[in-house]
Amino acid sequence: MTTSDSGAESLTPRRWLRSLVAGQRQWLMGSVLFGVIAGVLTIVQMIGLAWLVDRLIVAGVAPTTLLPQFLGLGAVILLRSLLQWGQEVTGQEASLRARHRARRDVLAHLQRLGPIRLSGYHSAGLGNQLVEQVEALDGYVAKFLPQQWLAICQPLLILALVAWLDWLAAIFLLASAPLIPLFMALVGMGAERLNRDQFAAVARLSGHFLDRVRGVTTLQLFARTSQATEEVYAAADHYRRLSMKTLRLAFLSSAVLEFFAAVAIAVVAIYIGFGLLGYIEYGPSASLTLFSGLLILLLAPEFFQPLRTLSQHYHDRASALGAAEELTALLVDAPGERHAAPHGRAGRSSRDASVRLVDACVSHRGRGRVLGPISLTLHRGEVVALTGPSGSGKSTLLQLLAGFVSAESGVVQTTPTDGMAWMDQRPWLIQGSLADNLRLVAPDASEERLTEALSMAGLEDLISRLPAGVASELGERGVGLSGGQAQRLALARVFLAEAGLVLLDEPTANLDHATETHVIESIRKLASRHRTLVVATHHPALMAMADRTLCLYQGCLVEERP
Amino acid sequence: MSRDAFKAQRGRVRESVTELAPWLRLLSRHRARLSAGAMLMLLTVGSAIGLLALSGWFITATAVAGSLLAVGGAVTLDVYVPGGGIRLFAVTRTVARYLERVYNHDTVLRLLAELRAGMFAVLSRLDGYTLSRRRASEWLNRLTADIDTLDSLYLRLMAPPVVALVAIGLVSLLSAVFVPSAVFPLTVVLLASWLWLVVGQAGLGMAASQHRVVAQDRMRSRVIEHLQGLAELTAYGALQHHHEGIDALESALYRDQRCLAALSALGNALVSAVIGGTSLMALFLAAQAYHMASVSAPVMVMLPLAVLALNEALAGLPMAFTQLGATRAAARRLNGLGRSRGMILEPESPRQPQGVPPAIRLTQVTLHYPDALLPALQQVDLHIEPGERVALLGASGAGKSSVAQLIARLIDPQRGSVRIGGVDARNLSLDDWRARLGYLTQQAELFHDSIAFNLRLGASDADDASLWDALAMVELDAWVTQLPHGLSTTVGEGGRQLSGGQARRLALARLLLMDPEVVILDEPFAGLDGGLAARISLRLDHWLEGRSTLFLMHQLDGGPFDPPGIQRCLTIRDSHLITAREAQQLGVDGC
Repeated sequence: MTTSDSGAESLTPRRWLRSLVAGQRQWLMGSVLFGVIAGVLTIVQMIGLAWLVDRLIVAGVAPTTLLPQFLGLGAVILLRSLLQWGQEVTGQEASLRARHRARRDVLAHLQRLGPIRLSGYHSAGLGNQLVEQVEALDGYVAKFLPQQWLAICQPLLILALVAWLDWLAAIFLLASAPLIPLFMALVGMGAERLNRDQFAAVARLSGHFLDRVRGVTTLQLFARTSQATEEVYAAADHYRRLSMKTLRLAFLSSAVLEFFAAVAIAVVAIYIGFGLLGYIEYGPSASLTLFSGLLILLLAPEFFQPLRTLSQHYHDRASALGAAEELTALLVDAPGERHAAPHGRAGRSSRDASVRLVDACVSHRGRGRVLGPISLTLHRGEVVALTGPSGSGKSTLLQLLAGFVSAESGVVQTTPTDGMAWMDQRPWLIQGSLADNLRLVAPDASEERLTEALSMAGLEDLISRLPAGVASELGERGVGLSGGQAQRLALARVFLAEAGLVLLDEPTANLDHATETHVIESIRKLASRHRTLVVATHHPALMAMADRTLCLYQGCLVEERP
Repeated sequence: MSRDAFKAQRGRVRESVTELAPWLRLLSRHRARLSAGAMLMLLTVGSAIGLLALSGWFITATAVAGSLLAVGGAVTLDVYVPGGGIRLFAVTRTVARYLERVYNHDTVLRLLAELRAGMFAVLSRLDGYTLSRRRASEWLNRLTADIDTLDSLYLRLMAPPVVALVAIGLVSLLSAVFVPSAVFPLTVVLLASWLWLVVGQAGLGMAASQHRVVAQDRMRSRVIEHLQGLAELTAYGALQHHHEGIDALESALYRDQRCLAALSALGNALVSAVIGGTSLMALFLAAQAYHMASVSAPVMVMLPLAVLALNEALAGLPMAFTQLGATRAAARRLNGLGRSRGMILEPESPRQPQGVPPAIRLTQVTLHYPDALLPALQQVDLHIEPGERVALLGASGAGKSSVAQLIARLIDPQRGSVRIGGVDARNLSLDDWRARLGYLTQQAELFHDSIAFNLRLGASDADDASLWDALAMVELDAWVTQLPHGLSTTVGEGGRQLSGGQARRLALARLLLMDPEVVILDEPFAGLDGGLAARISLRLDHWLEGRSTLFLMHQLDGGPFDPPGIQRCLTIRDSHLITAREAQQLGVDGC
């Protein structure tokens, strides 16, 4: 318990990102290596250009005699392009792998949280986090991280070369260098703030839209659609004004960086020009040549280029941090307290006991004890009804039997080899055919078995009316099925699963009388198949078919009727 | 490129243009702003070219002059004009870029605001069926993500290639003036690369970039499905199996991404190779001209440097055009929304229904939603006389709300007719009819605003006293009185800060503020306790006098939840209206 807690506390967004990236070190290093060699080749290209110009003008060599050198330089340029390609592709590979791991980790964590804890989250929101927010890590890993190294290596290499050629020019470049971290911080702050403000503004705007979209039928019925359209425009325009404020700042900070870069280049150019004219007699300027002067001029933009690129990718970093923050918020939500209490899956007490509970208790965070202590033995093939007022612990007991929540104390013994089936009041259907929905629980069931299960669940009528039979596609969210049909489809799954322990949570809630009768009839068939059946219900007919009815009140067993 | 491949390419280009055409037309309404933005972009690129070219010229000129001076020659070189020019270009480049970014982002955000409002207007005319086919969050994606994707249309796909083309023209012009022998090869190589970056990259990336968005959507659905079904998947031991499905979708998505990344990296590498190579070529050609003494040394250096500066103009193209498919896919989805068949439009010459309240008659109505398994309604005949109260009973999904939606003209039938006061519903003025109809839907939505705002949807000019009266009818007045902000209290997203029962009553109160002639109430007392239902029912009975009413109910049991004064009962089962006798025989509830 304590270890997982301290682990949770120490998981910060930055640390999580670092651990994700650590696994991709070889790809990232590869990307940096390609980038550095490409940078060196850029320098070689500039040296080559300056040297050619020098030969052509100062030595007056005919261009045709320099043809091999021209071609050699062309080869250098080609090689550099190839390396740049390699740099991008390896960076992308690192990013793909890191994102795959991030998604896998978060999804595995959500699975560990279990269905009960997950019900506190909005599933569409989680879906968004697992897709969009994980994807938001892309630019940071693929571009920002390698560029961070290049932004150090390449300017240093160039500076060294320029210093060797003319130390005064190097000082001009270096003079702007102390300013660079300052600008980077400025840009970074701008980007971070931009990102934060933008996140908030986008969330507000989306909230407004979602609200109006969700209620669009209501707006239609009250003839308010044109008014709502104007409101949507006003909200979007308000968002524009807000974003422009932050954008202006962000652009300004990168403009300042560029301005100094441009001024430094201009100063270097003019210095070199005056030096070549012999107007400057101080320091190394006298020894400037066309070759060194031109080379310094060509290298000056390359000195700033990696920094400019880095500042462009700064917003990638900000959005990755933003996404990481929200994703780690999920990751620190510790999974259900795995208590030391033996949630024994072995050691059956007697041969015909399917489930045995001894003084089992369940507590939920913030709500205290919701179930127990409860002692109970379910025999194989027994049908048990659970009743009691809402909030008495019926669902929690079923969840405990299913293993979705664990007992904080006491003993829970089940026989997992028997298999388990679960159905609650919201039938869960996937997008796909009827058969796809059934085969979830028995991937290689034959069509006959599917049809049999469907007819046990009372859906044979429906199937016979469908031209494509079990291959009929359900629309999104089970479009095309009524609530009762969906419930019966979920029930067909229970039949198909051949599970020893069947747990049903209010299977007839939300159904009308006619459908209810059908569902009860199907459950009766299920009960006659020697399965251990536990049904939380209020329905007299379901209670009547049970071998035992257990009544719960405030988490405890108050009554047991045969 | 073979002839067929060329044709296919041309077909793809034409398709893209057709799909993007409506959006291009929309953009063209802002021609002035857009051209101003493009001019600023051009100024930025032009200054970059100017800065590097002039610097190269200047340094070479000074070097040449310097070496002459060193040997005692007499040279006059004006250093101040080029020096000033260099400083000017340096400043213009930075300032123009800043202005360009601010101005163009503002333009794009303005456009997006218009697009969003326009799209919402389209959405608000869709019929109930089309709307219900997707989750609200998916509609939201159309309105946000898809429209956001369109921002690249101007900012990355239109202005930059045009600016790049003009920049290439500038360099060609420079070459034409100073080194005419270099114009032809230079222009050909640059234009061919431009064409490849725009058309070639787009063509190669088209399939993957279109598919990527779909793959991402699919993965999202599967993930949501996985999380929603965690209980079942865990219980049935199918977790691993379903998880493998997510992994498979992710690999498909990453295959596309990997392909796109490799492609845009190829484009970027190509830009740097072409720029490097072309500048080398420019140097060689200019050097030949210099060798033949037709150009000066500074000019010889100026040309390759001007070519080098073109990098800035071309750098953004590969990425933008590799991803063209994503913009196209977004445009196509939005076009599809705009062309939806499920559009409910105002008739050109609306007709007035007869009678107050008007009689309602459905004749042989059949409704089959395009991708539903079975028809929602089959040959339904139903009528409600003026002032009559009719209950329509049936299980959820039996077709009750389809009947209500037909009457409210939220949907149109495929066959048969819906006549209101003797007039086909399609010929009614929508706003007029809906003002005369009050429909409490099963999930009546509250908006994230104040209680007063939500109530005034029913009657925009209602004073506070009427609001309190309506609240009193549903017994919410005492509760609202003790709220610190009273009527100004916000109800939260979708009314979430209210209990289910409170939200239901607020929605009912909103309806009571209207003065409709025809009322449809879907389970009006759902979520209320018996005593409260009985008291509200009594007041409702009084309010409903003189209005035609259709109640939609699961069943009637003679208890407090039965709505008041029902004169006639109809039962709907499996999309058919059945008689009372049939209902009895089937053991379903009737009256």
